[in-house]
Amino acid sequence: MTPEILLALLAATVQAGTPILYATLGEILTEKGGILNLGVEGMMLVGALIGFLTALHTGSPVLAFVAGGLGGACMAALHGIVCIWFMGNQVVSGLALTIFGTGLAGFFGTPYIGRTAPGFDKFSLPLLGDIPVLGTIFFQQDALVYFSFLIPPLLWAFFRYTRWGMAIRAAGECPAATRAAGLNVLAYRWGALLGGGVLVGFGGSYLSLAYTHLWTNGLTSGRGWIAVALVIFAFWKPSRAMIGAYLFGGIMAFQLRLQAMGTALPSSILLMLPYILTIAALAFSSWRSERTHAPAALGVNMEPSE
Amino acid sequence: MMRKCLPLFLLAFLALGSTCFAKDLKVGFVYVSPVGDAGYSYAHDQGRLAVEALDGVTTSFVESVAEGQDSERVILNMARKGFDVIFATSYGYMDPMLKVAKEFPQVKFLHCSGYKNSENMANYFGRIYQARYLTGMVAGAMTKSKIIGYVAAFPIPEVIRGINAFTLGAQAVNPDVQVRVVWTKTWYDPATEKEAAKSLLDVGCDVIAQHQDSPGPQEAAQERGVYSVGYNTDMSAFAPKAHLTAAIWNWGPFYAEMVQQIKDGTWKSDFYWYGMDKGIVDIAPFGEMVPAEVQKSVLDKKAEIASGAYQVFTGPIKDQAGAEKVAAGAVMADGDLLGFNWFVQGVVGTLE
Amino acid sequence: MLQISTVRRQEPLGWGSCLVFFAALALAFTVSGVLLVMQDKPPFTALWLLVYSAFGSSYALEDCLIKAVPIFLCSLGVGLTFRLQIWNIGAEGQFALGAIGATWAALTFPGWPWYTLLPTMLLCASLTGSLWGAIPAVLRLKLRANEIIVTLMLNYVGILVLDYLVYGIWKDPGSFGFPMTSEFVPAAVVARIGDTRLNWGLALCLAVGVLMSVFLRSTRLGYELRACGENVRAARYARMPYAKLVILVMAVSGALAGWAGFLEASATLGRLQPSIMSGYGYTAIVVAWLANLNPFVIAVSSFLLAGLRVGMESLQLDLQIPAAFGAIMEGLILLAVLAGGFFSRYQLHLRRTR
Repeated sequence: MTPEILLALLAATVQAGTPILYATLGEILTEKGGILNLGVEGMMLVGALIGFLTALHTGSPVLAFVAGGLGGACMAALHGIVCIWFMGNQVVSGLALTIFGTGLAGFFGTPYIGRTAPGFDKFSLPLLGDIPVLGTIFFQQDALVYFSFLIPPLLWAFFRYTRWGMAIRAAGECPAATRAAGLNVLAYRWGALLGGGVLVGFGGSYLSLAYTHLWTNGLTSGRGWIAVALVIFAFWKPSRAMIGAYLFGGIMAFQLRLQAMGTALPSSILLMLPYILTIAALAFSSWRSERTHAPAALGVNMEPSE
Repeated sequence: MMRKCLPLFLLAFLALGSTCFAKDLKVGFVYVSPVGDAGYSYAHDQGRLAVEALDGVTTSFVESVAEGQDSERVILNMARKGFDVIFATSYGYMDPMLKVAKEFPQVKFLHCSGYKNSENMANYFGRIYQARYLTGMVAGAMTKSKIIGYVAAFPIPEVIRGINAFTLGAQAVNPDVQVRVVWTKTWYDPATEKEAAKSLLDVGCDVIAQHQDSPGPQEAAQERGVYSVGYNTDMSAFAPKAHLTAAIWNWGPFYAEMVQQIKDGTWKSDFYWYGMDKGIVDIAPFGEMVPAEVQKSVLDKKAEIASGAYQVFTGPIKDQAGAEKVAAGAVMADGDLLGFNWFVQGVVGTLE
Repeated sequence: MLQISTVRRQEPLGWGSCLVFFAALALAFTVSGVLLVMQDKPPFTALWLLVYSAFGSSYALEDCLIKAVPIFLCSLGVGLTFRLQIWNIGAEGQFALGAIGATWAALTFPGWPWYTLLPTMLLCASLTGSLWGAIPAVLRLKLRANEIIVTLMLNYVGILVLDYLVYGIWKDPGSFGFPMTSEFVPAAVVARIGDTRLNWGLALCLAVGVLMSVFLRSTRLGYELRACGENVRAARYARMPYAKLVILVMAVSGALAGWAGFLEASATLGRLQPSIMSGYGYTAIVVAWLANLNPFVIAVSSFLLAGLRVGMESLQLDLQIPAAFGAIMEGLILLAVLAGGFFSRYQLHLRRTR
C-alpha cells in the first residue's frame, strides 16, 4: 500500500465515519437522559429525505441540513410521546419507529428518486488544509465534516460543565433522586431526546447532502443500527464515539481498497471484518474497563408521582 | 365519500371473489426491491407501463418481495386472484414460481434471469452483455491509465458475464487494459457504492463502470473529474461531466410482445433471451466528451451485434490465469454464458 | 382549575385492555386512512381488503400461519432472554446459522431416511443456532462485552457466513452459477400436513410453545428464570446460578431461531439460498415485547403481525398501494398499541385545584 493510497484511505475513513458519528452522538445524548431509542435507522432515513427534499426545493444546503435535523427531532418526538407521556416500552417503540420511518421515507421519497439536489462539496480549510498528512486527512473535507468535529468536545463540555448537561445525566442515572431535588426529570429527558433526534437527523442528511447528492429508498443501509451499537462501544463518551465511528468507517473503506488493489480473499470474508473487529475491540475494552458505563436508568420509564 | 368508494368496493370484491370474469387480461409483476430503487426494478416497472398501455390489459405489481417463502405466497395469490400472466423478475423466484406453475396450468408464468422452465412457465432475460461490450469499448478508448474500475454487486453469473463482456470490449480497442473489480454485496447502497468507486480511483482507475442500481459510483467519478459508465438507465443527470454512456434496459417492447402473443394465443413457453436485435438492451446517448470516431466505431459494432454478424464471446478467450477457454473462432454457447463462472484475462478480482 | 394526575391501577384492567387495544388499532387505521385519502386511494376498501385478505379465507389463514412460524420461534427465543434482561437482538444471525446447520446435515447425509435425517437436521440447527447465541453470552460473562452490540454484529457476520457458503463451497454445480445449494433430497424436506400448504413445523411450534409455558410455570429453573428477570441483583444475592442461566437462555434462544432457519430451508425453500431471511429477527423482538413475553400471547401476536404483512401484499396488488405504506401502518399500529398500554396500567384522575 503506497502512502498516497493510505492517505486517501484515511481521508475516506473520516467521511465514511461522519454519518455514523452524528448518529452515534445523537444516541449518546438521548441515552444519557435515560431514554433508549432504537429508532435511529428510521430517524436517519426521515432526516435524509427531508434534507434532500429541502435542498431540492430551496436550493440551500444549509437550510436542508437544518431541516434534516428537525426531521430527526420530529421522529424523536413520536418516541417521546409514546415513551415519556404514555410510558410505553422503549425497546418496542424504538423498533416501531424504525419500521415507521423506513416506510415513511419510502412512501414519500419514491417520486424523488433519480433526481439530484445541491449539497455540500469538499473544500480545503485555509491553513489547516495545508498541514501535511493531517491536513489531507481531516481538513480537505466538506463543511459538514468540519461541523461534526465540533460536536464531540461541545457535548463533552455540555455534560460536564453546564447545568442542563448535568441535569440530563442525573435524569438518566437516578430519576427519582433528581425529581426529589426539585428538577423536572421529564423536561430534561424530552430535551435530551429531541436534541439527540436533531443529531441523528443530521447524520441522515449527511448521507443525502454530502456523502451522495441523491435519494433512494433505504439510503442508510443499516448505518443507524451501527450507531446504536457504537454508543455502547463508546461507553457513552463522545470522544470514544469518534474513535468508534472512524474505526468502523475506516475498516469498511479499507476492505474496499483491499479488493481494489487485487486481493485473493473472498469478499464475504472481507465484509465480515468491520463487524468482527468491532466485537473484538468492544470485548477488549470492556475487559479492560471495570464497570458498565450505561446510564443506570437507561430504558426505564419514569413512574408518575402521586 | 361512500358513493365514491362503493364502485371500488365492488371492484375489489370482484377481484377477490372471481377468477376469470374480467375480460381484460390481468398481468402481474413481482419485484425484488422497491420500484423506487432507481435501478433494476424501476427498469422492469417501466416495461410494465408499456404493457399497461396495450388495449384490454390491466397490470399490477407487488414490490419488495423477499425471495424466500414470501415470493411463493405472492405468486400463488396472484394466480388465485385470477391473474392470467405473471412476471417474476429475480432469479430467487425460480423454484417458487415453478411450484405455483404446476398448480395453475392455465396461467402463464414468465421468470426472469433463471434457467428452469415448464409447459406454462417460460424464462427470459436480456443480453445486456452486448451493451456492456459496447460500453467497454467506450471506456477502453477513454482510459489513459489503462486501468478501469468496476463496482459490482454480487458474484452471480449475470454480473460476471457483464464484467467479462465489458473487459473484452475495452480490450478490443485497447489490448492491455485492465479491469479491477470490487464487490459491494449490495444492490443499492449509494454511499457504499460511491466509496467502492473511490477506492478504485485511489488505485489508479480513471474510468468507473458499475453493476449497481444506484448512481453512487457516477458521482464519485464526477467529483474526481474522471469518466464513468452507467447501468440500468441513462445516469447522465448524476454525472454530466463524467457519464460516457450506459448499458440500459428497455423491457417495454419485450413485455408488450409477450403479452400480445398471450392475448392472441400464439405464445408458447420457451427460453427467451433477447438482445440488441430486439432493442431490449441498448446504450445510452454518448456524453459530449466521447470523440466522434469512437462513437462511430461503437455504433458500427452495435450494428454488427444487432444484425448477428458479431458475437461478443467469440474466441480466442483466455481466463485470468491465461489458459485458453474458448478456441479461436469458436462462439460460447448460451448454456455456458448462462452459467459464466470465470473471469476473462485482464480482470483483476475474485469470484467470491 | 382542573389538573390531571396519573395513578397506577391497583387491579389489572382485564377486558378493558382489549377495548384499549381496539381503540389503538382504530387510531392507527384512521391515520393510515388519512394518508390513503391524500394519495387518492379509497381508505375503507383498503382497510377492509387488508383484513379480508389476511384473515378472510382459509387460504389467507394458511398463509398467515406459515408466515407466523419463523416469527413465533424467533420471538419465543428472544422473549426468554428478555426475561433475564439479556438483550438478544441476534435472532437474525442465529436463524442464519440454524439454516446453515440444517443444510449441512441435509447435504452430508442425503442417503438417510427421513426419520433419522430430519431429527439430525434439527439437531444440527440447534447446535449451530445455540452456538451463535452462546458466543455473546460467554463474551458478556467473561469479558463484560455488551450483548446488544455483539448479537447485532453477529447478525451481519452470520448472514455473511451464509453468503460465503452458498456463493462458494456449497454452490450447486447444476445451478448455472447461481448462489444456492442443490435441492434437498425429499427425505430432508419437512412434509406438508395433508392437502394444505402448512407443514409439520407448525406442530413443532405448538409443542415448543406448550413446553415453554409449562417450563416457565412449573419447573424450578423456570421459576429461577422469572425471579432473576424480576430482579437480577437480588437473584445474584440469593446465589441463583445467574451465569448458567444466561448461557442457557441464550443457547435456547439461538436454538429456537435456528429451528426457524431449519424450517425455512427445509420446508419452504427445499434448499439454502442467500435471501432466506427477511428481518424475522427484528420482528421477533417487537412481537416478544408486545406480548409481554408470554408464550401464548407471542403466538397470537406473531399471527396478527404475519396477517398484516400478508394483507399488505393484496393492497399492493389490488389497489397499487406501495409496499412502504405497509411499513408505515405497521409502525403506526405498534406505536398506538404501545401508547394505549398506558390506559390499561394507569388511571387518569381529574382534580380540582385552586
